[in-house]
Amino acid sequence: MWQIIKNEWVYLSRNKTLLVVSSGFVLVLLVAVWLGHRQTQEQQQRYELAQKELRQQWENIDGMNPHGAAHYGTYVFKPAGLLSSLDEGVNNVTGKVLRVEGHVQNEIVYSEASQMQFVSKFGKLKTALLLQYILPLLLLFLAFHSVSSEKQNGRLKLLVLQGAKPSTLVWAKTLSVWSYGMLLLSLTFLVYLLFNGASLNAEVINRSLWFYLSYALYYFVISGLTVLFSARWQNATIALTSMLGIWMLWTIFLPNILLTSVEKWHELPSRNAFQAAMKEDRSKGIDGHNPADDRSKELEDKTLSEYGVDSLSQLPINFDGLVMQADEEYGNQVWDKHFGNLRKVFTQQKQSYQLAGILSPFISLQNASMGFSASDNLHHQEFLAQVEHYRRGFIKTLNDKHAYGGSKTGDWGWEADNDFFKSVPDYEYNSIALNSVFGHYIPDLLLLAGWSLLISLLLGVGTRKMQLI
Amino acid sequence: MKGLSIFLYEWKHFVRSPFKLVALLLFVVAAGYGLHNGASLYEEQLAQIQQIEQQIEEQREEYMAYYKEGKPGPENAPWIDMSTPFWSIWFNGTYHFKNPSPTMVYSMGQAEQYGFYKRVTFWASPYDADMTKEIANPERLQTGTLDFAFALLFLLPLLLLILLYNLKSMEAEQGFLPLIEVQTAAKYTWLLSRVAFYVGLVFLVLMGLLLYGASLTTVFTSAAGGFGQILLYSALYLLFWATIYYLLLFNGTTVMGNTLRMVGVWLILAFLIPAGVHQWVSIEKPANLMTDLIDATRDERQKLYDRPDSVIQAQLNDLFPEIVDSPVARDSSKTSFARSYSASAYVNELMKESIAPIEAENQVKNKLVRASYWFNPLTYFQNRINRISQTHYDDYQAYRDEIQGLIDRQIQTMVVDTWNEVKVDQEKFVDYHKILNTY
Repeated sequence: MWQIIKNEWVYLSRNKTLLVVSSGFVLVLLVAVWLGHRQTQEQQQRYELAQKELRQQWENIDGMNPHGAAHYGTYVFKPAGLLSSLDEGVNNVTGKVLRVEGHVQNEIVYSEASQMQFVSKFGKLKTALLLQYILPLLLLFLAFHSVSSEKQNGRLKLLVLQGAKPSTLVWAKTLSVWSYGMLLLSLTFLVYLLFNGASLNAEVINRSLWFYLSYALYYFVISGLTVLFSARWQNATIALTSMLGIWMLWTIFLPNILLTSVEKWHELPSRNAFQAAMKEDRSKGIDGHNPADDRSKELEDKTLSEYGVDSLSQLPINFDGLVMQADEEYGNQVWDKHFGNLRKVFTQQKQSYQLAGILSPFISLQNASMGFSASDNLHHQEFLAQVEHYRRGFIKTLNDKHAYGGSKTGDWGWEADNDFFKSVPDYEYNSIALNSVFGHYIPDLLLLAGWSLLISLLLGVGTRKMQLI
Repeated sequence: MKGLSIFLYEWKHFVRSPFKLVALLLFVVAAGYGLHNGASLYEEQLAQIQQIEQQIEEQREEYMAYYKEGKPGPENAPWIDMSTPFWSIWFNGTYHFKNPSPTMVYSMGQAEQYGFYKRVTFWASPYDADMTKEIANPERLQTGTLDFAFALLFLLPLLLLILLYNLKSMEAEQGFLPLIEVQTAAKYTWLLSRVAFYVGLVFLVLMGLLLYGASLTTVFTSAAGGFGQILLYSALYLLFWATIYYLLLFNGTTVMGNTLRMVGVWLILAFLIPAGVHQWVSIEKPANLMTDLIDATRDERQKLYDRPDSVIQAQLNDLFPEIVDSPVARDSSKTSFARSYSASAYVNELMKESIAPIEAENQVKNKLVRASYWFNPLTYFQNRINRISQTHYDDYQAYRDEIQGLIDRQIQTMVVDTWNEVKVDQEKFVDYHKILNTY
């Protein structure tokens, strides 16, 4: 088998058209990796500058009432992950700016896509675009006549007469085409590593390896299936057109149709309905029987008895701060309920879409690619959850200062000093560890592995009765 | 061989090619599905707007009751006085909608990137958080919904490719070409006739699909011009690809070679060029993190409040000359109160100032995209179709401008009437509604 693979490579290296196409592809790939790297750097710089500017404003607060500061709030900007230079995922359509303030969990706003007119349906010239759409086509063009041409010129019969098994031959052809894909994929990674060498860490390497594995499996499916068609069909043109049809179905039709359908099966609420339901819960209580005033009275009685005094004015603390925090905690339950429902629907949508990988391995590849690049919706939701976690700590710090900082109930003019504001921790983005979300991508990997296995079986079974001429 | 005979032979060839028939069928199914998606978004937006309008109407009825009952406002909010222009306008429930065009059935464009309803108050801005898009799965937004425009712009070239890929080259490979030359005298006219047959066939299919799309919404009754424009651009786009493929077939000699070249051109025009332009624009003008707008909504706004009364008054007088000699301006005991009610006026000016550079930057990006049209035809056609379906960036910019106009009008009315001590009764409340809701 190795001899056939070697011969194939010698043949491929002599094919001038292939050399020209490969050179062109490598050039575009290099440009894509470089542009992706440049864009990520640029974005990161802007992110750091903006975050620094906002922090400076916060630290420059000379004196302000803590509740006033909760309304003043701060902002968090969505950072560009290192791997988003490979696959940008949803980053173009999700917002970039998230306001962190008291009383409310805001939504992320100002997406890049909303800041200009339409440009490209398939996103930017990122590595993933080339690896997902273009490289498989190259493999397809390389493989569609790999066996049929041997049939047409009679070499196949000769090889079989010399002792080569048809299945070995087909396997060797598949592996040689696949190895061409792997060469280009490896080259991409090499260039990516060269550009990002300084920022590499174990997490990035771990993610990159899974990213690499996903593409390797997909390329095997494409190479194997095309070679199989080439072996089964008498005519290379039929093999090519059939495979092109499958490629279109897998990459253009099914992802679009199925993702749209999935969103209809697991429906998301309209913004208006979502906001109205939260407002309703916020005012009436989660179960509808616990109005805000009753809760406030209950807290007042509890606090007075705790401090052993009869009126709020006798309290050594500022009761308003306690009310604010209690209200905040109640609000958190409301946000958890409604934003939790949203996350649940997103999860259901994702799971259904992942199953669609049974019909199209491209869907599994796309999911895995975005997931391992930390740029899919799951990572976006994790980022939002992280910011919300920060918001809750941030507001609690301010409310605690309001309650226990030295002011009395009703003293809204009291101000915390600059040292306090400087001591409030800034938001720090913790990149999401792959280990914590890896389970979500197992279905995609299993389906890609399943497809590879199926193709391997077909290569074995389907070529047994292959016509030699 | 006469043109008609060529057409008839081609028809026979077509109906005997299952691959071509299936491709055409798939295209019709995909485009039909896309039309239904467009119609569904149109219906959803209309229903949402209707629902909000109903909610506003109910709320307005509630507030109207205060005038009928002679109450100043809700009992649990004693600071509210509905007889003042400030509170009356605040509770008038002004919303502004971007009503979807029936031609949305053909292209959803950027409709899912933006909000289409907005409560307009004198503290509002077209860049408020509630102007963001509807809740949607970002992965679906990224992949894009299959609408008719997608089928037209991306799948139509593939359909044409499948219909045309073996024209002439198959005859050349099988050695029939000299025979055809003898029969037709001009083999390229023969090729042109065959290509024309498929162009005609696809045009008829497109026409059928467009008519079907029109039946899903009210295109003919309220946007007949849009139908004509979509038809025109569809035909131009079809001719564009037919010409490219004709030239490739004209110069090609083998089926495989032609197929590879046709797919190559499709990949370059549909994927590489638009993606490259997108990347380039993103590097030239990265996403705006809106820090200037954030400054305006916090620190800069606070600075405005902290200015001396005389400076604030001078600005208000500049903005609204009608208040200079107003009853409140002449009564020093009332000016402070009226000035505080008028704060939204100078904050609005600040917001407009900070929004202007954001919009200018967006326009620079749009200019960069437009500059690429001569080598980026897909983006050109998509944007043209988005314009026709009123789902283009510019349509949403116009919507934002309208919102700003309504905010300005609301502030103008509130400030001038406050300084002129206008007493609002039921009739005036209704008048406000008419004035402030009409754009």
